[in-house]
Amino acid sequence: MQVIRFPAQWLTSAKFEAALKNARGPHDAGTFEVGFEFPTNCKVMVDVAIRLLSLANQLVSATKRVQLNFEEGEAGTMGYLNRLGFFDFLAPEVEVLPARPGYSAAEIHRGGSTALVEIARINKDVRDEGLLARLTGTLMRSCSGRADASELEGAAWTIFAELIDNIFSHSGTRLDGYAALQVYSGGDRLLVAVSDSGLGIMDTLRPSLKIEFPHLAGLSDMDLLVEVFRQGISRHGADRGCGLKGSAAKAIKFRADLDVRLPNQRVLLSPARGEYRANTAYCYDGLPLIWGTHIAFAFQLA
Amino acid sequence: MNEETKVLPLRELMARPEGWGRNEGRSVYRRMLDFVEGNPGTIVFKVSMKDVQRIDISFASETIVELARRYRRSKGFCVIDLTDEDLIENLDAAAAKKDQPILVWRGRSARLVGMEPSEGTREAFQFALGRAQSRAAEFAGEKKGISIANASMKFKQLWEQGFLLRREAAAGSGGVEYIYHRIG
Repeated sequence: MQVIRFPAQWLTSAKFEAALKNARGPHDAGTFEVGFEFPTNCKVMVDVAIRLLSLANQLVSATKRVQLNFEEGEAGTMGYLNRLGFFDFLAPEVEVLPARPGYSAAEIHRGGSTALVEIARINKDVRDEGLLARLTGTLMRSCSGRADASELEGAAWTIFAELIDNIFSHSGTRLDGYAALQVYSGGDRLLVAVSDSGLGIMDTLRPSLKIEFPHLAGLSDMDLLVEVFRQGISRHGADRGCGLKGSAAKAIKFRADLDVRLPNQRVLLSPARGEYRANTAYCYDGLPLIWGTHIAFAFQLA
Repeated sequence: MNEETKVLPLRELMARPEGWGRNEGRSVYRRMLDFVEGNPGTIVFKVSMKDVQRIDISFASETIVELARRYRRSKGFCVIDLTDEDLIENLDAAAAKKDQPILVWRGRSARLVGMEPSEGTREAFQFALGRAQSRAAEFAGEKKGISIANASMKFKQLWEQGFLLRREAAAGSGGVEYIYHRIG
């Protein structure tokens, strides 16, 4: 079995990637069994939770055996994942140690937290019309004291709406996408995460570049991704792509960092002088394959 | 142009008070189109945002902006009953991407979102925005150093780009001249 062991600390997306890199790629042809180990004190962050959920379900769909081993049991991060609704969406074929939770904490407490929004499934055939209201409602309860609360609410609503609509419109997958939200450290930091297991944004965009945007065809993936959020580029032509661009503009107003995981790359964008720029972006290339596009916005609320 | 102006209540064409995404936008667009075609004599449609809680950028792009673009030069679309800055920003982002100017009216004052007039036509646009209708000769008369031909070129460009509407009228000299109208 290919074992991926996570560290006994906060599992950020950077730590998640580091752990993945230490092992053979879970999607590699020679990998048949993948085990993810969560030691005591390992605490999964919300963006990692839905990336991991997507990855585990991808692996099962590729007929690989998957095992999640929570060494602290339900007292640890497994309890948090249960509260998020992680196990409600985890493919039944995935083996969970010590055992799957006996009940879904997300189902019991859904909507009851001011700090999190349980994982929601994104499937174009089963549109959850109440999802946006739940996401923004929670956000508002957790930062109602802020002077710019309603502006933040509007920004978050639009970002969610655009990211999720993007998944609906470039689906091409039978696997579900996911969205979730968590407020951290007393309301100072907000993570908004949306994942899909479809074609990566580059795979859908690249083929159209030669025809629609020949001047961009020579850009590296990182530079191209920066332009997607800066100019708004869409495979559907010059008058589309305003959604991601507009979402980025709103995120920038709240100094949000953007973390985009593509099939083999991860790109980090930090706002500088009112926009996301290539020279302040970081790109990690050659990462183990994860299908799809996984986007997380980190808002600094303090 | 009062008899030629009509309010298009967007909320009545939407399933919910929130407009989310391209698909939903396209189905609302078809209803807006039916409304417009059902009022063939109407030149200016004031899209009322009353009771619309939110719209995202994609929805705005597929509805109001797409309609304004489709009818550019023949009919005008402006927006009323909209004060939420966030929604204005979304409309602006959608309209800018499609190079479509749209006026958001609040009482008697208008705010332009989306495409902006070029440096060379900005003053002409401001002039036209300040009155119900304008002739090139009036603008040339008020602004020193601009010929009537030049003024009429500026207005024509504004019309082509969707900033203004126009109609033909008999000129005093016996020829045809265009009377330009702001939208809304």
